[in-house]
Amino acid sequence: MSKATADATMKLGLLRTMLLIRKLETAWGDAYLNEEIGGIPPSLSTGQEAVSAGACAALEHGDYVFTTHRGQAPQVARGLDPKRIMAELYCRRSGYNKGKSYHVTDAGRGVIGMGGIVAAQVPVAGGMALAQKLKGSDRVSLAFFGDGASNEGAVHETANLAAMWTLPLILLCENNGYCITMPVATGVKTASIADRAAGYGLPGATVDGNDPLAVREVVAAAVSRARSGGGATLIDAKTVRLGGHLCHDAQGYRAKEELAAAWQQCPIKRLRERLLAEALLTAGDYARLEAEIDGEVAAAVEFARRSPMPEAREAFEDLWA
Amino acid sequence: MFDRRLFRAGGPVKPEEREWPSFRGAINEGMREEMRRDPGVFQMGEDIAHASPFGVTTGLAAEFGTERIRDTPCSEVAVVGAAVGAAIGGMRPIVEFQFGDFMSVAIDQLTHQAAMLRYLTGGQVKVPLVIRLPCGAGQGAGSQHSQSLYSWFAHVPGIKVALPSTSMDAKGLIKSAIRDDNPVLFFEHKALYRTRWPVEAQFRDPDFLIPFGRAAVRRSGDDVTVVATLTMVHHALAAAESLAAEGVSVEVIDPRTLVPLDMETIVGSVRKTGRLLVVDEAYLACGIQGEVIASVCESAFAALKTAPRRLGNPGVPVAFAPSLEDAVLPGRERIVTAIREMLSA
Repeated sequence: MSKATADATMKLGLLRTMLLIRKLETAWGDAYLNEEIGGIPPSLSTGQEAVSAGACAALEHGDYVFTTHRGQAPQVARGLDPKRIMAELYCRRSGYNKGKSYHVTDAGRGVIGMGGIVAAQVPVAGGMALAQKLKGSDRVSLAFFGDGASNEGAVHETANLAAMWTLPLILLCENNGYCITMPVATGVKTASIADRAAGYGLPGATVDGNDPLAVREVVAAAVSRARSGGGATLIDAKTVRLGGHLCHDAQGYRAKEELAAAWQQCPIKRLRERLLAEALLTAGDYARLEAEIDGEVAAAVEFARRSPMPEAREAFEDLWA
Repeated sequence: MFDRRLFRAGGPVKPEEREWPSFRGAINEGMREEMRRDPGVFQMGEDIAHASPFGVTTGLAAEFGTERIRDTPCSEVAVVGAAVGAAIGGMRPIVEFQFGDFMSVAIDQLTHQAAMLRYLTGGQVKVPLVIRLPCGAGQGAGSQHSQSLYSWFAHVPGIKVALPSTSMDAKGLIKSAIRDDNPVLFFEHKALYRTRWPVEAQFRDPDFLIPFGRAAVRRSGDDVTVVATLTMVHHALAAAESLAAEGVSVEVIDPRTLVPLDMETIVGSVRKTGRLLVVDEAYLACGIQGEVIASVCESAFAALKTAPRRLGNPGVPVAFAPSLEDAVLPGRERIVTAIREMLSA
């Protein structure tokens, strides 16, 4: 494959990943809003897809990601089966976690779903990095966390420990601009969360989190540093949350103008326009891609609907190893 | 009154004690053997490599190096989290907190992450880790360094809890804890660290293990069952000895692990004696003492000749001054009094 072809394939792959995240999550959110499913409302990544798509494109087989409560995007980006993701979100036993948790995990693919407690996945990701180092492996561990989580002691302690022990860890802040209703500028008094890296003695980087190519490049540099024994990196991927904190959140705390401007920064829109301009994509190609993904999402929903609920006895399984 | 003379605080080792392993030495030996056996075992804790706070890890860094005996900063959340992540990643971490009370700083990582991740992932991961928690009062260590908080952790699902009371058990239980595929809290009473006991020959066998969930009957008796843990085992044995002179026969049971708890042995004993006293340093409210009594009442109520009793901290912090410590801790005299009252009821 020529370099140009590989480049085009990579870019189209990122577009596909982001579209699949968007459409799969939209179907999940709709299922909740239509009262087909209940429980805690879905936390969607609408507008933030580039962070997961770009970051996961920089990882290899055997690397680990630790996800947040808004964790479907990296699950999709790491290649998990949309059917089994959706089945979990529909609380079905055919879901990845057998209906036991909303935080989809596929340990075989190195995706550990966490996020019930904000920032708790970050120290655990640090431990996975330590395990790789102790085993002499060159695999890396990547922790997603939000701008809200960036203020948790768990993140500060882990960043310091990662610096002290030169851990192969990527601390990736998916900064969507809001900690539920609190703007990041209120809760974080540095221009970038990555500015805090200096305080830990780590390299830091700030990146346009709505550009999956830029995210991929920055994360790839961090991964390369981690793999070669250079230690951890703290990245602030500045993105924009287009939906509410959870899917039923009408976002009365944000101005209409602000949201309209944010939609102009939609990462899918931006990459589509770029690929059209670079003649790597036609309007027809895009329509076909959308139709293909619509079919995949419909199949995932159908699979979830047809899957059985867990049986009562299963509540007592899987506690002890 | 908490009788400090039951335990060695320091000073020269008596000639007859020389061949006996100390409690801390037994834990050290158990960890050393497991680290030799399994390269996945490693340790994290404050000062464990260079100046082991209670001497439990002394000499291990010299044998295994500071990659496997890792000094940590004061970052309980990151360190317990690191243990969870490393465990998921195939290692067998052991964490030491200088004082078990510090577990409070990192409860989320223990109760929500270590204890729940296997369940939440539908059994996809296992989290084999051990957290060693020096606990207990009687050394004037102050309120935040003297608690026995295992009831907090026995309360939540997914955590095993070990409470060794002798050198033999300390070694056998730490080795079982390290080999267990689940999170284990290993509570070490600080008053026991320097005490030495004779041990059986199998103590030297590198595959000597004490299984979890099997209580030890420390003394057989017919009139009353005393369930006691950690130092209270020794106080109860001292009480039983005093009462034997009065013709009272006391059975002393040491559960050794609270999760899993060997109710079969305890209930069997109560069916024989008809009387139950539970003694522990833990705060009485929602404590382990009440849990044992409730379980016995549910399964052997008809066997009880009198109301079960419990001794523990009645619900105040353990203060600094020895006279104030003594006021809230059970001990031989209180056990003797409680048993006399039960027998005359």
